[in-house]
Amino acid sequence: MQNVLVPTLNDGQYDFLRLFQIWETVSTAPQGTRFDFSYCTFLRPSAVAFLGGLARLAQHHNYPVTFAWETISGAVMANLCQNGFASSFGHPSPGWNGNSIPFREDRVSATDPILDYLTDLWLGRGWVQVSPLLKDAIVGKVWEIYTNSFEHSASSVGVYSCGQYFQAMNQLALSVVDFGMGIPTKIRRYLQSDPRAANLLSSSCLEWAFQSGNTTSHQPGVARGLGLDLLKEFIRINQGSLEIYSNNAYAIVDRNGERFQDMNSGFAGTAVLIKLNCDETLYHFRGEFPNRGEAE
Amino acid sequence: MRLVISETIGARCIVAEDGQRLHDAVVGHLRDNEDVFLDFSEVRQFASPFFNFSIGQLLNDVSEVNLRKFLHLEGLNETGRIVVERVIANASKYQNNEDYRKIVDDILEQQAKGED
Repeated sequence: MQNVLVPTLNDGQYDFLRLFQIWETVSTAPQGTRFDFSYCTFLRPSAVAFLGGLARLAQHHNYPVTFAWETISGAVMANLCQNGFASSFGHPSPGWNGNSIPFREDRVSATDPILDYLTDLWLGRGWVQVSPLLKDAIVGKVWEIYTNSFEHSASSVGVYSCGQYFQAMNQLALSVVDFGMGIPTKIRRYLQSDPRAANLLSSSCLEWAFQSGNTTSHQPGVARGLGLDLLKEFIRINQGSLEIYSNNAYAIVDRNGERFQDMNSGFAGTAVLIKLNCDETLYHFRGEFPNRGEAE
Repeated sequence: MRLVISETIGARCIVAEDGQRLHDAVVGHLRDNEDVFLDFSEVRQFASPFFNFSIGQLLNDVSEVNLRKFLHLEGLNETGRIVVERVIANASKYQNNEDYRKIVDDILEQQAKGED
C-alpha cells in the first residue's frame, strides 16, 4: 500500500492542481492507498469533497484505502469529525453542528434528501438572513449543479458535497464533485461525428456549455441548457463566485465576468465550487428581469 | 381543466419526470384550445428540468400565442415565473435537428477569438 501525503489544501487553483496529482496517484495504484495528513494544517470543503469521492472511487475499483487518523492534527480532525467525513470512513466520532456543512455522498440522484440538505443544512442554519422565498430560489438554482452531475457525468461513484460557513468573510461555500467523464469529454463525444471535435480545446468546450440553451442532452422535442445560465446569473447578482474544474479546463464566474482557461493537468470528472455572500441586500431578482419587480 | 400542483406533484417542482407527468396531463386540452389552470400557490422550489418538460415541451404542440392564451399559471411566485419565462424563451428558439458541424464551427470560431 502506498503512502500519499495530503498537504494543507485551500480552494485556489494551485490546491486543485495538488488534488489532481493525488487523484492520478491514487487512481493508478491497485495496491491501495494510505492517506497521511502529517503535513496538513487545514482542508477546505472542496478538498474534503474531492478526497472523499476519490477514496470511494478507489474502493469502487477494489483498491484498498485507509485514512491514517493518527496523523491528523487536532483542528483538521475536529473539522473532519464535525462534517461527518471521519465517520463516513470508519472513525467512531459522530458529526455535530458547527460551521461545517456535512460531507455528503449520493450514489444516485435522491432529489428530496439533496434538496433538504441544501435547504436545512446549507442555508437553513440561520447564517443567511434572507426570506424563505429567497432561500427556496437559491436551492432551486444550486440544484441545477446536481442535476447536471447526475445526468451528464456518468460518474460510477456518484456525487460528493461538502460546505462551510466562513464567519470572518460572512461567506457560504459549497463544493460538489463527481468522478465522471467531465464536461469537455462529454461535448467532444457528443460532437464526434465531426472529426474536428477531437481537437477542440477543453476551455472552449466549457465556454460553449456555459452559454444559454446549449446542451448535450438527447431528448427530442425538449429544449434544455438553462441550468448553468440561471445559476451564473444568480451568482453575478449575489457578487459571489462559481468555479468549475472539469478535465483540464477551468471556468470562473464572478463580479468581473466569465473566464475560461486550459490548465496543465486535470482529472476525470467535474468539481464545482460556489461561494455566496450572506448579505441580504445582495439578494434581489431585479436585474435578472428588468421589467419585473424585486422578489421581496 | 384545473390542477392544484401541490396535490398532484408536491411542494417542489424540480425534476424532469414530474414535468413530463404534468405535460402529459395538459397537452391534449391545450391542443383542443381548452383553458388549463395550474395552481402553483403551495409550491416552494423550482428548477429548470421540471419546466423544460412540463411547459417548454408544450411548444411542440401549441403555438406560443395559444400557450399564453389558454395556459393560466396561478399563484406562481417570482422565482417560478423567472424560470418559466426563461424556459419558454429557450423552447421557442429550439431546433430539434442538431447540426453538429455548426456547433463545432461555432466553438472553433469562439476558440479563434480567444487566441487573438
